Amino acid sequence: MSKYKKLVLPLILVLAVAVVAVFGKTLSTKSAAVKDNRTEVVFWHEMGGPAEKSLMKIVDGFNKSQTKYRVVPKYQGSYDAAIQKILQTHGTGTSPAVFQAFDISAAQMMHSKFTVPVQDFIDKDGFDASKISPVARSFYSNDGKQQAMPFNTSQPVLYYNASLLEKYGITPPPVSPSYSDITRVAKQLYERSHHQVKGMTVQIYGWLLEQAMANAGVGLTNNNDGHTGIPTKATINNGASKEFFEWIRENQKAGDFMNYGSGAMAGTNQTTGFLNGKIGIYIQSSASISQLNKKNKNKLGITYFPHPDGKKANGVAIGGAALWISNDKSKAVQNGAFEFIKYSLKPEVQAQWQKDTGYLALNKDSQQTSILKGLYKQHPESKVPSQQLQEAVPNHFNSGILMEGMQKTRQIEQFAMESIYNGGDITNALKDADKKIDDNLTTTNRANGYH
Amino acid sequence: MLKTSATDVIPEKKVEAKQKSKFKLTANDKYYASIFAGPSLFLLGLFVFYPMFRTLYISLFLTNTFGNTTLFVGLENYVKLISSPDFVSSMWVTLVYVVGVTFFTIAMGLLLANLASQKLPGIAIFRTLYSVTMGVSVSVAAIFWLFIFNPSAGFFTLLTKMLNLPTINWLANPTNAMWAIIITTVWMHLGFVFLVFLGAIESVPTTLYEAADVEGVSKHYQFFHITLPMISPTLFFISTITIIGSFKSFGLIDLITKGGPTNATNMLVYRIYNDAFFGGNYAKSSAEAIILTVIIAFFTYLQFKFLEKKVNY
Repeated sequence: MSKYKKLVLPLILVLAVAVVAVFGKTLSTKSAAVKDNRTEVVFWHEMGGPAEKSLMKIVDGFNKSQTKYRVVPKYQGSYDAAIQKILQTHGTGTSPAVFQAFDISAAQMMHSKFTVPVQDFIDKDGFDASKISPVARSFYSNDGKQQAMPFNTSQPVLYYNASLLEKYGITPPPVSPSYSDITRVAKQLYERSHHQVKGMTVQIYGWLLEQAMANAGVGLTNNNDGHTGIPTKATINNGASKEFFEWIRENQKAGDFMNYGSGAMAGTNQTTGFLNGKIGIYIQSSASISQLNKKNKNKLGITYFPHPDGKKANGVAIGGAALWISNDKSKAVQNGAFEFIKYSLKPEVQAQWQKDTGYLALNKDSQQTSILKGLYKQHPESKVPSQQLQEAVPNHFNSGILMEGMQKTRQIEQFAMESIYNGGDITNALKDADKKIDDNLTTTNRANGYH
Repeated sequence: MLKTSATDVIPEKKVEAKQKSKFKLTANDKYYASIFAGPSLFLLGLFVFYPMFRTLYISLFLTNTFGNTTLFVGLENYVKLISSPDFVSSMWVTLVYVVGVTFFTIAMGLLLANLASQKLPGIAIFRTLYSVTMGVSVSVAAIFWLFIFNPSAGFFTLLTKMLNLPTINWLANPTNAMWAIIITTVWMHLGFVFLVFLGAIESVPTTLYEAADVEGVSKHYQFFHITLPMISPTLFFISTITIIGSFKSFGLIDLITKGGPTNATNMLVYRIYNDAFFGGNYAKSSAEAIILTVIIAFFTYLQFKFLEKKVNY
C-alpha cells in the first residue's frame, strides 16, 4: 500500500500541470482575441513544410496590414482528409470561414452549396480579376461565375538533368517538346552512358494521364469534362491516351524507362534518382522547383509538358488548390475572408510565394517585381512553368475535370497505368478504367439525385 | 418471494432463494451486476455496438457526397462487391498476405528463439538484437524499408548490382510488392513473437531433454517431439494474434505501397479506409467492413474449433 501512496503526489502534480496547460492555453488564446476588436477569420489550409512557412508569412503580412480582421490559420493535414473534414463540420462552430481545397474537389465543393461564389465579392468590391491568370481562373469557375479563387497553383512540367546532357553531348529538348523529342534524349542518354543512367520516367499518377489528355485537347468524361453538364460517361479510352502510353511503352522496350511505381513513395524515389544522376528526365509539378534548386549539384533543365507528335500543345490544366469562402459565417466574416484572398493575390505576395515554394505567381504584374526578376536571373529555367501557364488559352479540356468522385477516379487511372506499365494491353486497360469510372458515376449520380 | 428492491432483503431469505434455484439472479445480484458491468457496457455500446449497427445500416443504402444515406438499395452493395473482380482479388490478396505473414513469422520466430535458447557465451546480445524490432514504430519501419527498396539507390539494388545480379524493382511490380510487404510485416512482428517463443522454450523442463539425451535422441527429433508439443499453447496464442493482426494490417501498407501496384497489396482493411475517406463512398465501405467482420469471425471460430483441441495444456 505504501508503495502506491508514494505515487499519489506525483500523479496529482502531473494532472495539475496538465489541467493548467490545457485551460491556460484556451484562456490565453481567448484573451489574445479579446484584446482588440478585430473580426476573426478562421482559415483552414493543407500546406506543410516550407510552403507552410511561406503561407504563415502571407498570413502575418495580412494581419499586420489590417485593423479590422484577423486571419487565424489552422493546418488540416492532407488535401484528401481535409475535404471530408470541411464537408462534415459545415454549419458547426469549428468550421472555417475560408478554406483551401484542392483542384479535384472543385465539383464536390460547388455541388455542396456550402460556399459563396467568390464572384459575388468580386462584383461588389469592383476587384479587377483580369490580372489573374485566365487558365487558373477558368478551372474554378462555373456558369461564367468565379466559384473559388485559385491560390497555390502549379503546372506539370518536364525536368531534365542539363549537366548529364552536356556530359554526353546530347542536344537538349526544345521548350515545348513532342513525345519523340523526349524519346530521342532518353534513348541517347541511356546508350551513351552505357546503361548507367536511365533515360526517363513518368510517375504512375492519374494527374499526369489527365494532363496528357488535356494537352492533346481531349476530355476524360462526356459533357466536356463536366463543364457543360454533370458527367455521365468516362472517355479515357481515346486516341490521345493511347498515344501517351505507346510513347511510354516504346521507351520501356528500349530499356531507358524506369518505373518508380505510384504514390508518395514513387515521388520521393524518382526525385532521389534524379538528384543522384541515376535518371535523366522526369515529369512533376512545378512546385518541386525550389526543392530541386536547393539540393541539386547538377544544372536543372525544364520544358513544357510534352505533346503528341505533329500536334500543337493545347496547354495543361493547373494543379494545386483554391480558396473558398464558407456560407455558414456572418457577412462581416465573409468580407474579411475576401479581403484575405485579395491580399494573397497582390503582385509582391504572389511573387514571394513563387520564389519560396515553386507554386506559380498568378498575378500578371508579379512578373515585373524585383523578386521574380531576381529569381529568373539566378535560375533562368524557373521562368518556363510561368510561360507555360501564360501561353495556354483556356478551353474545356485544359480547365480541369468538374466531376465528383475524382479521388476515386485518380485511383482507377492509377490502376490502369500500373497494369500498362507492367506489360498489360493498353486498350483493355483503358476500357476497364472507363467501365469502373462509369460504375462510380452511376452510383454517385443516383445517390445525389442528379439525373 | 421475489424481492423488488435491494434494501429490504433479509439475509436468511436470500440464502433460501439461492438454494431453491442456483442460477436465478436475485435483485441484489442484478444491482451489483449492473454496477460492475454497466460502465463497460455503456462504453462498448457507444464505441463498438452503435458503430457496428450503424455500419450495417449504412451498408444497405447509397450515400451522397456528404456521407448521408439517401437511397435504400437493400443488398445491392453486397451483390456488387461480391461480383466485382476487384473486390474478390482483394480478398485473395488478403488471404495470401495473412497466410504468408503468419507462416513466416512463426517459422522465423521459432528458429530464432530456438537458436537464442542455446546456452552460449554472449547469447544475450543476440537475444536483444532479435527482439529489437519491438521498439520500432510502424512509420519508422516503413521509411527505413522504403530506403532499402528504393529502385535507384536502395540497399537491395546496390547489393544486386555489386553481385552483378539482375536488379529487382521491389515496389513497382505486383508480385514483388506483395513480397516486400510480407517481409516488412514479418520483420515488424518478429521481435514480439521471438520473445514470447523464447519465454515458452525456456520454461520447458530440462529433465525432458536430459532424458532424451540419455536415450540418444537427435536434437532435430527433440525439437519436434518435445519442444513443439510443450509450447503448443503459445503457438496457438501467437497464431491467433498474428492472423487477426495481419488481417487488420494498415500502417505499413498505407506508408509503403498504398495498396498498389494494380491493387496487388490492396488488403480489405486498406480498401475500407480508402473507399470511405478517399472515395467518399461510405455505403460501399460499410458493406466491405461487414464482410471483413464475417471473415474474421469465421477464422477465429475455426481456430478455436480445431486448433485448440490439439493444444497440449
